[in-house]
Amino acid sequence: MQDELLRANLIHKLRLLFGRLTGFRVEGNSMKPTLEDGDSVLIEPSKQFRVGDIVLANHPFRKSIKILKRIEIIRPDGSYFLIGDNLAESTDSRSFGAIPAKDIIGKVICRLK
Amino acid sequence: MFGKLNKEYFEIAEAHCDGPCGVYDPAQARIEAESVLMLTKKILDLKRPEGDDAQKAYANTLARFIAIKEQRAELAKHHLLVLWTDYFKPEHLAKYPDLHETFWKAAKLCSSCKQEISLEHAQQLMDAIKKVHEMFWDSKGKDVAWYTAS
Repeated sequence: MQDELLRANLIHKLRLLFGRLTGFRVEGNSMKPTLEDGDSVLIEPSKQFRVGDIVLANHPFRKSIKILKRIEIIRPDGSYFLIGDNLAESTDSRSFGAIPAKDIIGKVICRLK
Repeated sequence: MFGKLNKEYFEIAEAHCDGPCGVYDPAQARIEAESVLMLTKKILDLKRPEGDDAQKAYANTLARFIAIKEQRAELAKHHLLVLWTDYFKPEHLAKYPDLHETFWKAAKLCSSCKQEISLEHAQQLMDAIKKVHEMFWDSKGKDVAWYTAS
């Protein structure tokens, strides 16, 4: 599990400028205390994930919404069971089930601020 | 430089609950259940009058009371189901073992209150929502006193 997220360094910021990373702003409290409402994070598109990674995924029922959660379990069928760090205020795989691999967009590699 | 980037290029990543605001409060169910209780009392107190015009007015009033009781009981059930299925999580069930039983009974009482004119069931619905209120605020670690509007 990533206990603490790295702060973006110059390389991260340059990769953001050149479109290798994508910036996202966090809305909501479900990833507290790791990520606060209003934090900015950089996402690296990827298909390789480990348990403990914080990932950006498409919401299973509302495809226009992207969600940030942590990988709790990688299932034998390749789907991901995601949960928020703030268990009491997160709606996640405990409610909507595991997310298929195709809906995991990338992982959080650092925070911008 | 990067502060500007932040505003212009960053998309939103939701770390919400379904709300997606995360705002829940059993007060919504309590207010609807209070209406059900009051309407049940009003229906029971209503006296059938003599005379054509008075009877029409009586029928109109009774029909309105019944319609609103029906509607409010359905709303109470809706708000209870939102709390049950969206707010409460398996961790809460471990802490409050009678959580499912409480919600199941409360939802059934909403149906009884629609079908019947029962003061007893309307009061039992209020009692069940009080129990939900206690579990809910305890789960948030807040001491919120139970109160009613009527």
